[in-house]
Amino acid sequence: MKTDVIQLFENPYLALGVTIAVIMAYLSVNAIMLIWLERKLSARIQRRIGPQRGPFGLMQQIFDMGKLLSKELLTPEHANKLLYVIAPILVFAPVVALSSLFPITSTYIFHDFNIAIVLILAISGINVIGIFLAGWGSNNKYALLGAVRSVAQNISYEIPLILSVIPIVMITRTMSLYDITLAQGTYPFVLVQPIALIIFIISATAETNRAPFDIPEAESELVAGFHTEYSGMRFGLFFFAEYSNMIFACALATVLFLGGWRGPFLPDAVWFFIKVYALIVLMMWFRWTFPRLRFDQLMKFAWVVLVPLSLINLLITTLVLKIV
Amino acid sequence: MGLIKEVINGTKTLLTGMKVTLDNFRKPPVTSQYPMEKIEMSEAFRNVIVLIEKEGIGSHDCIDCKLCERVCPSFCIYLDGERPEGLRRKRSTKFEVDFALCSDCGLCLDVCPTDTLGYSKIHDEAGYNRSDFLYDLIEPWADKEEAARERLKEIEAEQAAERARKAAARKAKKVKREK
Repeated sequence: MKTDVIQLFENPYLALGVTIAVIMAYLSVNAIMLIWLERKLSARIQRRIGPQRGPFGLMQQIFDMGKLLSKELLTPEHANKLLYVIAPILVFAPVVALSSLFPITSTYIFHDFNIAIVLILAISGINVIGIFLAGWGSNNKYALLGAVRSVAQNISYEIPLILSVIPIVMITRTMSLYDITLAQGTYPFVLVQPIALIIFIISATAETNRAPFDIPEAESELVAGFHTEYSGMRFGLFFFAEYSNMIFACALATVLFLGGWRGPFLPDAVWFFIKVYALIVLMMWFRWTFPRLRFDQLMKFAWVVLVPLSLINLLITTLVLKIV
Repeated sequence: MGLIKEVINGTKTLLTGMKVTLDNFRKPPVTSQYPMEKIEMSEAFRNVIVLIEKEGIGSHDCIDCKLCERVCPSFCIYLDGERPEGLRRKRSTKFEVDFALCSDCGLCLDVCPTDTLGYSKIHDEAGYNRSDFLYDLIEPWADKEEAARERLKEIEAEQAAERARKAAARKAKKVKREK
């Protein structure tokens, strides 16, 4: 049976501290490794070799981290200092807060929350505010334009994202991620909700601001978008946030559609991470294949294709559930 | 209806694109690790000229004819030579090329009577001054010069003997005809 790790501690603050420490440590290492993986994958796709300092080029990431940590934290002259400083934290914080909800193994989980999906969808919206504050606070036209685009894009793609999650909740009649995983005992929900998974992946790619939806940081138009003015570890935090958001979105897709930790032979956690990283590789594959969309194409795609498609999917699911 | 067609078409093109990147992913990288591994230049590669080793001599066969110096449109070849004791041909003692002036036209190669000029395969030379590009082509062969001269003496002796024999034969023929 499952055990909440948080309830093993007497002191709730200690439990909170340990949870955050473990998650932060994991997310940091994960981000570093994902940057390495992405660089290697992109290199192979472009028939290059990629980073190669140290074994498999792994030392490159250590050096890059050292560089980021040792750089000066610059603040632009007319920047709004408060907003400028808290923006990267706001982008990174939701992922840390929400990562504790995922049931990675069937026995030990950080915390089983009975309305986890609502919480996730609500809190993950906060990083849009972070991005907007970054753009507004840094007092730079490119940053502001990138931030405005980002907000428009994230709000548009949040709708199909939520609409693709609702059918799962309707099937399982629960919002706890642990119970949703349990409900996929015989088959993962990707078999009954393939369209929802496709919509979810597309929307998640847009939500994490990754190519082909990386319009907020379109290099050719906006320098670097909302993090143009950021340097040192503040920029590093945005960078970490991007990869943490990726693993967060992929973990959510894994739990909702691919059956979470369920799988034969291998231990629970191994199956969970295999699925998550397979999805991440898919997202990287997208990034290095597809050209960036124009902004109107992006909005049209969200409102004209994804939203109606997810509504139709929702309608069909409702009818089938009513009849069966 | 048009929208649905567009979506289906778009999906198809997306999958095609992903197949292209997957195919490239599976092929080996084409980059070479330049400072660690040297690149093999092609046969037609042109850079600064070098003296090529000639067979049988064990060294270059530059005879200081100065044809290359004369034909050079950029005046970047500087030659000097001497006639060693007991040798019919001359040997060059100085062969300098100012590669900063050279235009790689290749006229010197065409004009060389002993075919002892060729292109080097150097491709990554860099320098801070123009004088860094003044190449001395004799210097790499300096330690083989003594041996080469000895060999040349033998070769020339053989050639002289051959010539003498031929001349004698011709003379004999001539005498016969006159008779």
